[in-house]
Amino acid sequence: MEPQNSTDDFIAAGLAAYGIETDEIELAVIRAAHQTFWPPILELLELDTSEIPTERNLDLSRAPSR
Amino acid sequence: MTDALDLSLREQAAAIAAGNVDPAELLEAALERIAERNPALNAVVETFPERSREMLAAAPEGPLHGVPVVIKDEWPLPWRAQRFGAADMLATPAPGESGPYRALRDAGAVIVGVGNMHELGASSTGSVSVYGPARNPWNTERCPGGSSSGPASAVAARLVAGAVGADGIGSIRYPAAYCGLTGLKPTFGRSAMEGHHMAGVSTTIVSGPLCADAGDCRLLGSALFGEELRQGDPQGLRIGVIRGEVSEDVAPAVREACEAAIEDLRRETGGEVREIELPELAAATLATVLIANSESLGSITPERLNHLDPELSPIGRGLLKYRVLLPAIATIKSQQLRALARRTLAAVFEDVDVIAWPAVPAVAPPLEAPLVELPSGTLTADEANVRGGALANLTGIPAISVPVGSAEGLPIALQLQAAWGRDELLLDAAEAIERGNERRWVDAAPPPARGAEALEA
Repeated sequence: MEPQNSTDDFIAAGLAAYGIETDEIELAVIRAAHQTFWPPILELLELDTSEIPTERNLDLSRAPSR
Repeated sequence: MTDALDLSLREQAAAIAAGNVDPAELLEAALERIAERNPALNAVVETFPERSREMLAAAPEGPLHGVPVVIKDEWPLPWRAQRFGAADMLATPAPGESGPYRALRDAGAVIVGVGNMHELGASSTGSVSVYGPARNPWNTERCPGGSSSGPASAVAARLVAGAVGADGIGSIRYPAAYCGLTGLKPTFGRSAMEGHHMAGVSTTIVSGPLCADAGDCRLLGSALFGEELRQGDPQGLRIGVIRGEVSEDVAPAVREACEAAIEDLRRETGGEVREIELPELAAATLATVLIANSESLGSITPERLNHLDPELSPIGRGLLKYRVLLPAIATIKSQQLRALARRTLAAVFEDVDVIAWPAVPAVAPPLEAPLVELPSGTLTADEANVRGGALANLTGIPAISVPVGSAEGLPIALQLQAAWGRDELLLDAAEAIERGNERRWVDAAPPPARGAEALEA
């Protein structure tokens, strides 16, 4: 199938770069997932998180150390 | 003996301990009931009567001595490898002694069957499985919830009084909510998890109990935790509520029932309701999904993806392949959002004891089209449910789904979340809600559960 827009370009090029094969149904699932996830991912990428320190020695069973 | 199957988990355990119920007869009755009711539900995907009888013969005098239970198709048993609800789980499972199996065995419980689950644990609906979907006992055309679909359906239909599920992004709480059960997602790391094929990499998945009420979750949870979940006094409970999507973009009947339950909880505990803010909640939802999906990438190679079992559903195949396109930068930022959300929650839990909002924003949708109607429009059930279910998995805090109402003949549930390690408080609070509504919703049972009081529409 010919790519129709940037989404199709991204999906087709990404999968091709990895050498991953798909059939039409899988491709439809991937497009649907991309339409759901990509807009909030782009919003996330817009966030500058450099001021948020990550937790060293993350222990999810406890509150974060102060 | 059929009547004993309708007892609660703790009543079954007490009756056996007192010599009033023969556990061998109870086991046979459970197997008969599964044979009778399960064909319409597909909740239990495998029984193994001889193994169950052997387990009973060797059962110690533990707190669950002789009590039949179901375990989700997510852990190996010594005689059976898990399938994760899928024809291909990108791992090579093998039979073995998982943590939940050992916990149940050491408590004296008898595993009577394996519960169905959504394929690869990848949905809140339970609508896709290598075994075919489990069905909701309240309405077999509706989703049972996922991914612990079979355990929830089995307990709701009273095939057993308790089941072990797993919760990576709400997968105990969603099916508990859809099936009218109480489901506890423990604090990360508190419940038995060994032997799960992702135990070494997952930072979101935990095992937990699905039962009719909080008292039964306390008993089964104690076995999974390896310590007694003691009853406490939730007097003076400070209940946090938030404005926004998770509590307001919900079906009107859900909002009304949850607000009434919060008032029940406040009244029963002599507590107070405080408005709180969680500004990271929306971003935390995406962060959870990205982290959970990236944690299984270690087993993925292009070669492997090109040779998936053709019996894996097209949705499963497509979603697995899509994972490789998720940008690493988004996952890195997600980990930073996780740190921020944990710090925010730590501050919030200095001001409140629990946070309350609907467990799911609408009642169980149709299996054929798992869509929900919300004030904002029509959404897939997964898009809608994850909004309220993800935060506990992202941050590690415990959460519980409590039945609090009904609409369209289907259950409605409230979710409570508490600070790390305060799982017992959630059970105390759930019991306070049960007292507040005179156990109306935890004692209601769906049509397949004979002799039980039907839920009023």
